[in-house]
Amino acid sequence: MGMKGFILRKVVAAGLTIAAIVCVNFVIFRMAPGDPIRMMFNDPRASAADLARMKEKFGLDKPLSGQFVAYVKGLAGGDLGLSFSHRRPVLEVLAAKIPATLLLVVTALVIAVFLGVALGALSGWKSGTRLDTFILTASLTMYSIPTFALGIILLLVFAYHIAVFPLGGMVTPASLFEGGELLLDVLWHLFLPALSIVIWYVGEYVLLTRSAMIEVMGQEYITTAYAKGLKKFKILKNHALRNALLPVVTITGVNLGFAVAGVIEAETVFSWPGVGRLVYDAVSHRDYPLLQGVFLLFAFSVVLANLMIDLIYGFIDPRIKVAGEM
Amino acid sequence: MGLTGDRIAKLKTFIRLLFSHRMGLAGFSVIVLFVLMALFASFLATVDPGRTGAAENILKAPSSRFWFGTDDLARDIWSQTIYGSRVSLTVGLVAALITVVSGTLVGLFAGFYGKFLEEVLMRIVDFFMMLPELPLMIVLAAVLGPSMWNIILVVSLVSWPTTARVVRSQVLSLKERPFVEASRCIGAGSLRLMFGEILPNVVPLMFAQAVIMITEAIYAEAVLSFLGLGDPMRVSWGMMLHYAFESGVIARAMWWVVPPIVSIVTLIVSFSLLGTAVSDVLEPGYKEKKGY
Amino acid sequence: MRRTLQKRTWPTGCLIGVCLVLFVLAAPAFAKKNRVGVGFTAEEILENTRLNETWQNSEMGCVFWPLVYDQFWILGPAPDYDPLPGIVKRWETDDYQTWRFYLVENAKFHDGSPVTAKDAAFTLWYLPKSNPAWAFPDNDIREKDAIKIIDDHTLEFKLAAKWPGKYPPAYWMPVLPEHIWMPHKRRLGNFDNDECIGSGPFKLKKYKGGEYFWMVKNDDYWGESAGVDEVVFKGYGSNDALYMALKKGQIEFIGYNGASPLSVEDFKKAENIDVAVAPGLAFIWLSFNLHKENAIQDKVVRQAIMHAIDRERLIQMVYLGYAQPSYSFIYPELPGYNPDLPKFEFDAEKSKAMLAGAGYVDSDGDGIRNNPGSGGDMTFEFMVPSAWSDEVKMAKLVKEQLRDVGIDIQVKVVDLDTYYEFIYTPTQDKFDLSISSEEPGPNGSWIWEFARGFHHGGSGWNQAFYDNPEFDRTFEAMLVETDVSKRRQLLFKMQAIIAEDLPYGLLLRYDHINPYRTDKYEGHVLTMGGFSNWINPWTYFKLRPKQ
Repeated sequence: MGMKGFILRKVVAAGLTIAAIVCVNFVIFRMAPGDPIRMMFNDPRASAADLARMKEKFGLDKPLSGQFVAYVKGLAGGDLGLSFSHRRPVLEVLAAKIPATLLLVVTALVIAVFLGVALGALSGWKSGTRLDTFILTASLTMYSIPTFALGIILLLVFAYHIAVFPLGGMVTPASLFEGGELLLDVLWHLFLPALSIVIWYVGEYVLLTRSAMIEVMGQEYITTAYAKGLKKFKILKNHALRNALLPVVTITGVNLGFAVAGVIEAETVFSWPGVGRLVYDAVSHRDYPLLQGVFLLFAFSVVLANLMIDLIYGFIDPRIKVAGEM
Repeated sequence: MGLTGDRIAKLKTFIRLLFSHRMGLAGFSVIVLFVLMALFASFLATVDPGRTGAAENILKAPSSRFWFGTDDLARDIWSQTIYGSRVSLTVGLVAALITVVSGTLVGLFAGFYGKFLEEVLMRIVDFFMMLPELPLMIVLAAVLGPSMWNIILVVSLVSWPTTARVVRSQVLSLKERPFVEASRCIGAGSLRLMFGEILPNVVPLMFAQAVIMITEAIYAEAVLSFLGLGDPMRVSWGMMLHYAFESGVIARAMWWVVPPIVSIVTLIVSFSLLGTAVSDVLEPGYKEKKGY
Repeated sequence: MRRTLQKRTWPTGCLIGVCLVLFVLAAPAFAKKNRVGVGFTAEEILENTRLNETWQNSEMGCVFWPLVYDQFWILGPAPDYDPLPGIVKRWETDDYQTWRFYLVENAKFHDGSPVTAKDAAFTLWYLPKSNPAWAFPDNDIREKDAIKIIDDHTLEFKLAAKWPGKYPPAYWMPVLPEHIWMPHKRRLGNFDNDECIGSGPFKLKKYKGGEYFWMVKNDDYWGESAGVDEVVFKGYGSNDALYMALKKGQIEFIGYNGASPLSVEDFKKAENIDVAVAPGLAFIWLSFNLHKENAIQDKVVRQAIMHAIDRERLIQMVYLGYAQPSYSFIYPELPGYNPDLPKFEFDAEKSKAMLAGAGYVDSDGDGIRNNPGSGGDMTFEFMVPSAWSDEVKMAKLVKEQLRDVGIDIQVKVVDLDTYYEFIYTPTQDKFDLSISSEEPGPNGSWIWEFARGFHHGGSGWNQAFYDNPEFDRTFEAMLVETDVSKRRQLLFKMQAIIAEDLPYGLLLRYDHINPYRTDKYEGHVLTMGGFSNWINPWTYFKLRPKQ
């Protein structure tokens, strides 16, 4: 079977997961309270005839199975329904906010991975020393602070009391900045929300890399290399780190689920205009279609990202492909 | 199941090791403090935390009368912090209990019976693990409505797959061990094997999982309440932060914000330390290292 | 050779770069425009310029369109709120049913085409039909030929019913250019309207949905030119950021909602900032569900509830004193206000006596009074929307106050959409009492639709399921009464009936708190509801740089 079979299996699995997510989503939201049609017209003067007409237009007068078919058809065409609070198609509302979230997530993850792996490797290498204990305790603590709590502290300290950073948002409103100025403005606004996410992630990557490092260090081939007279650092780089990275790659995949959590929290606290902040707004307004759309977006992203990680993993470690066939 | 003498001895050693682990002991002591705080809340609090106060006491800084100051409805923050421990501990412990019990049952059956049952159960577990946790919890909580029990339900629903997976791996390796073979030889039935032989050996793992689940449940309650999905009828640390954030005066009232955050973080860290201790103690070879 | 070149060009390059940066940064200063920043939350900034109910109902919408579009006539500023000419310089009527509007003659739209009676007719006919949010009794025209275009600047139309009173009909409508909107006449709300061509004192230059709206002065305006060159509506992520922006000078004042009472002290201490406090536009009241079978249907119980509520405490706790108790749907400063209404002042003992006297005693000793018939506890569901944080606080305080007289309240916090659904269908029995809030405005006779009986043509605003034929008769008589003093008598009677029957228990009217900068601009116009709201575009018309 080999490579082709491996890819095929992974893709099919991802596809099935997505199908299941769609079903679950449909079920959850039909459980939601309130009449979606009335909600779209906060006007008590809308007559019964108007409401019936709208119900028909949105297919809500059909039985549940008919609604499900319509729902799936709509999804395939990119129709995620109408957001109650924005009075616009959910897809439109989401699409506009995705770039901001990507900017935040990618920046934070990249920094966290580099910093976390470096610190974790160091900690694992020097396992048992004071430095290791310090890094370990610090990481454990950082990992225990909810991102939103950390965000609130950072906001109050660095944006209000010692006002060196802005009080949220992505840009200075209506500044009409262009090009380089705009970039600087965005980076200035990006710093604190990214920091709140990074701190939590660094904690996690440190713990992970450290334990992977310790495990690898105990392996025989390391002591062999040491005995051969290779310099410590070279051993670290060429052997230990490379093997410790494998679990890091896996965990990044699993982490994407947590990345979502961090993003929702950070964007809420810092009013960062991304998809995460939409969740908070949708919850405040009980805008179920929007919540549904965001959930689908996050779920799909995680599944796709995991698929990519699986494929990358398959390329890196040939043992996985063979084992997977069993 | 039967608590044989051998098992009691193992338990005793386990507990002794746990208590000699420095970090574990520290975590455990703090947890005990919080539990006492929750149990004796009515004695420790100075006033009814939900009762609004006099208009001139709105948003007052900490003083001799209001030890942690007041919020925007002149309610006492110290009393709110004390009572808030009840919600966090209840959600943490009950959700963890439900998660671990249901996850263990699934893992046990899946690992033991194998074949079709295992395939089906594991596919379900895989599916759940794919879903991003927080959005799923938010969506469920929004639909079910704001109440502490809904939060417990939602957290358990989202967390049981991890336990199931971990327990199943353990069961798979235990299945082939000699003592199980031996019991099978003397004719022990499946259920007897599962609950009588395998389960007791899974218990330490369940305990480790439970501690992890508690930290996740406390975290989840804090986040969901902060986002506005918490129980408005109960005082909780997450809801305190929600009201502070919504009030528009969060920047001027550090005293409103710091106590709940410190409480949440301290409680989570203590359970994490306990969790680290448990997983260290369960490491094969730890017992020997410590000279037992 | 290469190395020396590098050494020499490097500092020169830097110098040029620095100069460019300085030039770009300084460029705006060369423009020297008077640009007034007005703050909104990012949520409030419109996403687009489509003509839909957001122009009626949203904070930014109802402040934005009167700047870019003309109205037929404008509600004047305090204290009289007289109707002032807009694009209609004069109006006439003999019977209050057929009206003649005389348009200004030199008005032009922003694209240069003249404003004529054709545009006015188009607006009058199609705007109310496109969206129920725009349909009111004062623009209710049933046949197309009831609108006659006499000449280019004269229009005559016949309403479905008489519209007497202080104000002419057709209030609060943007005059639309017919040549742009005609192709979309069936669905006005579907048209992009990106250019937003109106005839008003400001033109829309540029906007970014959810971020900002940039308007510039219309130099060819037919009327009094604006005193400032530009107005920019800016969206901030949170109220904290909004207040910070005001203190830093990025905005001159806040666009609709004003500032919270908790922030007043802070603003008073800030440099170059003053705080103007005006009575608000909104009333807050309790709606009693008279359809649901329970003790609420007993008038004595409702009166006892009103006596048990301490309005002063609500005002102190929720608004820090920045509110007034209210007893009627009409603003006290207006001539139509009936000063002799029963007030049900706070008196917990009286409340307890009334309840006991009517048979509601605590027969099972649990602290809650019991219904004489069924024996069950007097427990009521009190509905409040989660989005209205002040009202949620009020619900908590009311719960405590009613508990003190032996009535148990279950506070039911629901999302805003569910709230609207439940409150306008009292027949569904989803609540016993609820909190409610509206901004009638000085020209707000539509607020009485809240009390018009269901089977009497009530158009769905009746939250209490109130049904009093005497009230309906009085209301209808008032609507068509042309004699001013008789009309006032009828209005007084309506207020008295409502205050006596208590389908609605008026609670309070919160003040509008307006922090504003004093260093660069002057001429702010304060009306009820503050500097900037749907009845007050005057600040934008009159603001000018400080001399």
